[in-house]
Amino acid sequence: MAILDPYSDRSRAVLAWVVIFAAIVGFVVAGAFLSDPAANAPDPVKYDDTVELGLSTETDSLMSDSGRIPRVQVFYSQLQYVIGYNGVESFVDRLDDGYTERRFGYPLVAYVETFDGTEPGTTEAGLFTAAESRPSSWTSAEEAVYVIDSEARTPAGETVIPFSSRDAATAFTGSHGGEIVDWAELRTRSFDVDSGAVARAMAPERWKVADRRITAAERTADRPVSVTVGEDAETISAAVDAAPPNTTVVVPSGSYEERINVTKPITIAGADAHVSGGGNGSVITVRAPNVTITGLTIDDTGNRTRDPEAAQRRAKEAAQGNETESWDTNIQLGYGYGDAGIRGLGSPGLFIDDVTIDTSASGVLLRDGSDSVLRDIEVNGTAEWDDGFMGITGMESRVTVTNGTFTNGRDGIYLHRADGSIVRNSTFRENRYGVHLMYTGDALIADNSFRDEIFAGITVMTRPARNAIVGNDVRGSAAGIQSSGTLTYIGYNTLAHNDLGFSTSSRGSLYEHNVVVENEEGARATTVVPASRVVANDFVENDRHAGAGAGPLRVWADGDRGNYWEGANAGLHEPGERAYRPTSPIDAALHREPAVVALRESPVNELLERLRGTVAGARSGSIIDPAPAPEPYAPDRVAAAADPNGTAVHADWRAQIDDRSHAARQLDDQPMTVAGQNATQPNWGTEPNERAAVQEASL
Amino acid sequence: MTGDLGVTDAFAGAGTVFRRELATVLRTPGYGVLGVGLLAVLWLLVAVGGGGATGFVPAVVDLLLPAELLVPLLAVVLGYRALLADAVSGEFAVIRTYPVGVAGYVVGVLLARLVALVAVIGLPFAVIGGYVWLTAAPDTGIFATHAGVDSPLLYVRFLALITLFGTVFLALSMWVSAAATSRRGAAALAVLAFLVGTLGGDLALIQSLMVGADPSAVAGRAALTPNGAFRGLVFETVIGVSFAQEGNVVDVGRAVGSLAGWTLFGSLASVGTLAFRERLSTVIERSRFRFAE
Repeated sequence: MAILDPYSDRSRAVLAWVVIFAAIVGFVVAGAFLSDPAANAPDPVKYDDTVELGLSTETDSLMSDSGRIPRVQVFYSQLQYVIGYNGVESFVDRLDDGYTERRFGYPLVAYVETFDGTEPGTTEAGLFTAAESRPSSWTSAEEAVYVIDSEARTPAGETVIPFSSRDAATAFTGSHGGEIVDWAELRTRSFDVDSGAVARAMAPERWKVADRRITAAERTADRPVSVTVGEDAETISAAVDAAPPNTTVVVPSGSYEERINVTKPITIAGADAHVSGGGNGSVITVRAPNVTITGLTIDDTGNRTRDPEAAQRRAKEAAQGNETESWDTNIQLGYGYGDAGIRGLGSPGLFIDDVTIDTSASGVLLRDGSDSVLRDIEVNGTAEWDDGFMGITGMESRVTVTNGTFTNGRDGIYLHRADGSIVRNSTFRENRYGVHLMYTGDALIADNSFRDEIFAGITVMTRPARNAIVGNDVRGSAAGIQSSGTLTYIGYNTLAHNDLGFSTSSRGSLYEHNVVVENEEGARATTVVPASRVVANDFVENDRHAGAGAGPLRVWADGDRGNYWEGANAGLHEPGERAYRPTSPIDAALHREPAVVALRESPVNELLERLRGTVAGARSGSIIDPAPAPEPYAPDRVAAAADPNGTAVHADWRAQIDDRSHAARQLDDQPMTVAGQNATQPNWGTEPNERAAVQEASL
Repeated sequence: MTGDLGVTDAFAGAGTVFRRELATVLRTPGYGVLGVGLLAVLWLLVAVGGGGATGFVPAVVDLLLPAELLVPLLAVVLGYRALLADAVSGEFAVIRTYPVGVAGYVVGVLLARLVALVAVIGLPFAVIGGYVWLTAAPDTGIFATHAGVDSPLLYVRFLALITLFGTVFLALSMWVSAAATSRRGAAALAVLAFLVGTLGGDLALIQSLMVGADPSAVAGRAALTPNGAFRGLVFETVIGVSFAQEGNVVDVGRAVGSLAGWTLFGSLASVGTLAFRERLSTVIERSRFRFAE
């Protein structure tokens, strides 16, 4: 050991250095204990760089009406990402939910957007508005003052307007009413903030809404016969022209080759009639309200799937600086302008009943407010999905589908800005996507069956709110349910034999009572910041029960109620007593390899596992269920899902949700508004990564 | 030979003993292996635990419970023969013929072993901290990020607590080495000290709760045992800062006092034991001399 010889003189010099070093170390250690790590509050960041929770700023009504939502950005002690809240009330609501703090830590600092000197006011519709302040003005939440109970609203309801000076707040209350409070007072207030539970509570009601729409359509369809094809007129077109409004044109059994234009409210009642379009354009085009088409088989449509020039036109407009419309304009312009078996163009009240369509493009194409009911409809597409188009293309039209069958389409049903649409009791086979929603909120996708879909059974893109995806059965597909958006309810679905069961891409949402069996990956945590509840799902026989993408530790449970994970209860402990981590290599193997049980009991695993739930926000890429369920929640559906080709199973979710909604209402006395389908505005918006996905998907 | 520290006779020769002991430590390659081995284990723990990927606080969470076992174990390994070796070989008696007091001898050995402790235990933990500093990063750069309350200073606190905790067990194992009369006896006593130190205190506390002790006394009593004081201090000063605090896990002053007290106790007990044995052997020699006369 010649490097340090304690007896040499050189060594004395080294010792002197050691003493100096020790002094420095002592100084650093003293500093480490004296400093306060929470003292250095970070400065506000660009709001676009935060991870957004709560409402979206890009709701339709806000965009069209120049409304604003006061924003908040919060730095949590354990979370590396900055959280953005739309609406001060959504932040205040989360402060006391006892849920956010366990996951993210406490707020180190919060900044609110203040509106001093930005001419704050209200729009004609009563929405809060203000001039853009540049740079936008962020004030520490504790220093700001707040106007509550003023006349200003956001699409979600009453809103809190922050100001940095009391004078500005007073000026605002002078013209718009309300009361000025400080942060301490504001914290004590409670606000009604939506969650995925709202969409759950609304789901059974939406089912009844569909019943009512169908009944209304049946009533409208029941019209006196005026013209019979073959007797009173040579062709269907001639018959339609001859028929007075609000009467029925009867199409007897037989084959017809023609293209039909309907421009008045009539019923076309086929009796096993077969209409061919001659392979060019759309077969039936409806340009009038309250038209009914029943009992037809339609084929030989044109094969133009969309307007190929839409994208170029948009590019030209953009070059001329006329780009005022949103970025999805080319989809709207393109998708709404292809060929179809039946086209509804501005045709509200269209009722299509007992119709079969073989198409080379779309089966039914609806645009411009063609709110429609489709019952017992069958659409067969092309052998290769990218040759044809959608079973139903619905653009800005509220669509109600029941008992449909959709095969070999690009998408079985594609809905774009079609709020309040309902798709139920339908069967989808071998489409690219079974049901594909864009910018479509407040929808109900229920009790459908999906088999062998190439990309996914159900996909929701962009950021709509309050969709309910309930009671569906997806098997043999690349993915079961991939829904982005906010406040979504995904419950009682059966997802089996897929590559991926479901992803948790929708935020502030509720994923419960899904049965996830024999998928390669049961569920995937995708949102960077966890803000959803995943509870009471059954995970059985998946290669991997669950995986996690970028982001902190996800806690999948609601209090002491967790999910059922096959294998979680292996070993010597009481079922449900021990936390389960589907992303840990040991826990993930429990249901495949009994020997892992012993490894799980090893001291080192115990030592590492013991404190893992602490500082959840600061951990990455993993999932923990602190209270796995001892038994499956839905053993019948688990058993039924074992067969990849088995018949679809649908839980009796309407009864169960009704029961629980009543119970919940009695418990916390929170009004769960079952508003009219279009009364609540959905939220649009895109994130950069979502936008790329959307563009890819819409190619 | 002069007392380097130039203090009272009791501590005379401590500096020389320190340098001699340091040479002994440096000539024991096993300690180097021990440090490298600890580093490997810590690195694996951080890698398997995953906490180090995002920051210091989660890394400390992963390391806390393993550290409660590893640090005492290594400290005991460093100390359990420190005083015994010289006594068995007779070198201690030779040293005592120079102007070196028992206390000075013990302090010199303890300080040298403390340097070894910092190198063998502190350094690997520090290296792990550096590794976390270099590699911890958010999973994605799409969004704005910040450190939260996470900070290298928190890890420095952890390192300081680790060192203090190790010092306690070093001092206690020195006492073992002073009390033992053979290598085998020292090993047995060392294992006993390790078990009692790491398990005994908490067991006694839990037992007291079982027989009806007031749980409100836990904060104070937990601080009395080295492990309880260490764990409480880490919760209180490192992990706890990322939570909104509700009451104290441990009484900080009492915990620090307890760790310092145990160190002092170990040192004094070593001095006392050595002095007593020296006196004892003098008595025995004297009586043997008389008997022979």
